[in-house]
Amino acid sequence: MTTTTSSQEILLEIKNVNKNFGGLQAIDDVTLDLPAGVITTLVGPNGAGKTTLFNLITGHLMPTSGTIHWLGKSLKGVEPWQVARLGIARTFQDLRLYSQMTVEENIMTVMERSSWLWQGGRKAAEQRVTEILNETQLLDKRNDRAVDLAYAERKFLSLARIMASEAKLWLLDEPASGLDPRSFERFVTLLRTYAKRGITICIIEHNLDIVIQLSDRVAFLDQGKLLAQGSSEDILKDPHLAAIYFGERA
Amino acid sequence: MIAYLQNIAVLFCINAILALTLNFIMGYAGIFSLAHAIFFGVGAYATAYIAMHASDSLLLCMAASAAISAVLSMALALPALRVRGEYFVAASLGLQVIGVTIFSEWKSITGGLGGMIGIPRPKLWGYTFNDDTAFLILALVVLGIVVGITALLVRGSFGRSLMAIRDSESAAQTYGKHVNAVKTLSVAVAAGLAGIAGSLYAFYISFINVESFVLETSILLMAMVIIGGTGTLFGPIVGAALLMSLPAALTYLPFLPPTELGAIQQIIYGLAMVLLMMFRPGGLVGGRSKEKSA
Amino acid sequence: MLFTQLFINGLQTGALYALIAAGFSLIFGMTRIFHAAHGATFTIAGYIFYECYSVLQLSWPVAALAATFAASLFGVLLDRYVYAIIQRHEGSFFTVFVASFGMAIIVQNLIGMIFGRGAVTVSTPLSKSLEVMSGLYIAPIAAVVIACALIFFIALQWLLTKTSLGIALRALGENPNLIEVYGLTPRLLSQYVFLIGSILVVPAAILTAATSGLNPAMGNHVMLISIAATIVGGVGSLRGAALAGLILGMAENLCLAVIDPQWSEAVTFVILFLFILFRPGGVYGRAVMS
Repeated sequence: MTTTTSSQEILLEIKNVNKNFGGLQAIDDVTLDLPAGVITTLVGPNGAGKTTLFNLITGHLMPTSGTIHWLGKSLKGVEPWQVARLGIARTFQDLRLYSQMTVEENIMTVMERSSWLWQGGRKAAEQRVTEILNETQLLDKRNDRAVDLAYAERKFLSLARIMASEAKLWLLDEPASGLDPRSFERFVTLLRTYAKRGITICIIEHNLDIVIQLSDRVAFLDQGKLLAQGSSEDILKDPHLAAIYFGERA
Repeated sequence: MIAYLQNIAVLFCINAILALTLNFIMGYAGIFSLAHAIFFGVGAYATAYIAMHASDSLLLCMAASAAISAVLSMALALPALRVRGEYFVAASLGLQVIGVTIFSEWKSITGGLGGMIGIPRPKLWGYTFNDDTAFLILALVVLGIVVGITALLVRGSFGRSLMAIRDSESAAQTYGKHVNAVKTLSVAVAAGLAGIAGSLYAFYISFINVESFVLETSILLMAMVIIGGTGTLFGPIVGAALLMSLPAALTYLPFLPPTELGAIQQIIYGLAMVLLMMFRPGGLVGGRSKEKSA
Repeated sequence: MLFTQLFINGLQTGALYALIAAGFSLIFGMTRIFHAAHGATFTIAGYIFYECYSVLQLSWPVAALAATFAASLFGVLLDRYVYAIIQRHEGSFFTVFVASFGMAIIVQNLIGMIFGRGAVTVSTPLSKSLEVMSGLYIAPIAAVVIACALIFFIALQWLLTKTSLGIALRALGENPNLIEVYGLTPRLLSQYVFLIGSILVVPAAILTAATSGLNPAMGNHVMLISIAATIVGGVGSLRGAALAGLILGMAENLCLAVIDPQWSEAVTFVILFLFILFRPGGVYGRAVMS
């Protein structure tokens, strides 16, 4: 049961997508819509296919069948770097920051899309960088190398990169795991701010408290199948789903 | 004495350009190439051929050398960069081997094993660089320009792209970097500038043959970059200076048999490479900067 | 007749290359270490055999044993004292490769200083060619080479599939964390891999010494073949590397029917380039797009 109002535009349409790895059905006939400005959380036991779904969207994997449309255009055969330039960005569970580069460089390089030897637009870029550094409270760390940051700061840098990407769709893979309560509050506020600006956010998350606090909608995946979607109350209070979730965990 | 020092200085400039350009792809892009001597050679042969058969104009020859080297490098880069880094090593090794064979066999263009003799000094706006001191100044100017270009690229957006790809290629792709295009372009720039070094070399020495462009040369260049420090702007220059002064320094040690000096040199920088990788992977200038990723 | 001659030569060369490539592929596939000093191991084995057999006039089993001992010692010590340290603090492909390469340079030059830079051969009664048919010359040693290669491969196959060590080694390549189940550590297994990989080159080195001869720079050629065969055969596939070694050896010889000898090394790399262009996964390998 999706809750979309007529004013919410569907940005990403996943229709009947299947992904088969030589016998293993990783994604099984998944249909999911992601509307603008809505925070959707993907939950499900380990191995349910959540990260695989992200990989299918970003072009790192190709669907065995089914379609994925972004802003009306098919993403079939589109390379990851092209997908990024179309406005979709993601974070990784293992962050994959540019470790030897400074915080500022990490953010700047995301804004520098062109492959040419020289790009203009320096002034505007610098302003935006400072803005982002402020929002993520990394301003005093701007010249520190990514590898030297503390854990929470690294998580925020990961978010800063996606903020710099000017993407309309954010795919976040366990972005808040391990954050202390105060950082977590900041994190949630930041996400909500961007969602209000019309960014569509889809989060993979295991921690149910986080899911409850963050989500507008929840989608439950198990063994590659989308079992249910709805508001966080509907999904999390469903005893049948809980059994699968906790049963699988034990 | 002056002539001797001037000679060393010119050769130093040429080697420094080669080391700087190799560092551009090894240290900044993380692409490991064993074929740098070939791009050096292509530039040298191109200039030699043009200077002896068509025109001894400095700008024309250098431009031709740069262009031919750059285009050749793309022939290597485009297929080899589609796959993992280890494959590029193999492909570059292949290019180095085949390149030497071509240099030795294509007699009409390269003079075969005998090489090319009698390459004239270059002419720029009516002035011919017959004077060795004048040539040294030319070499220094070219080195300065190469340092300038490298610094501009490295400190700008292109350099950031390279480093991003080096630090996490999957993240770079995910955030919109056209990895292949960036890598190919970096290889082309490095090869083109190496071609210019080759051009200088041909003009200066006036005689070139395949012996200057063999695998040992590529290895020596690699050693300069590694020992000086990858990923730093001045590391390769330090490395070039050190490794070039090694032969002279060794002649001062009387207990070393003179016939074995070449071998001893190689052992020393082989040993330096091993020890540095174990304890100081960033090289002499870079220090311990290579740590595990964030 | 020329073709048959080249074919037989190709088989002989191919058998040697298969052994060399298998050793490198084993090490690279299982430890992900680009062991650029593999050629150095080969050179050491060859020269030790030469020293013991031709110079010191010891019997060939003793010489072979000495060569095996020297090669394994080199491989294992390199892994334990150089690679291990590097892997502990950083261990990127680049760093390990460079250290390995540095080692190869040191070995090449040391051997050049001790034994001279020219070629040396070990002459054995088996090395002399006999005219088997008109125009067809084969030395009995060719049969020895091929038989040796087969024996070693069968032994390797048995080791990898029938012994618990072998199974553990294969697991090391796939998932190093599984190793603890066997009560072993990745470090210890790595030592075994280097031991086996280094031993594999010894027969190839000895036989090369007896056929085409040795020179200090031959390690480079060995490395070229190892790398090319590993890629053409497919990274991670031992069978592929051996098969590719055989193919490369055959190609190197058969092409002599049409081109000059100086280009035979280039043929190896043309084959390599073609594979990189059209089939980077190699004959048996997994897909390798990054």
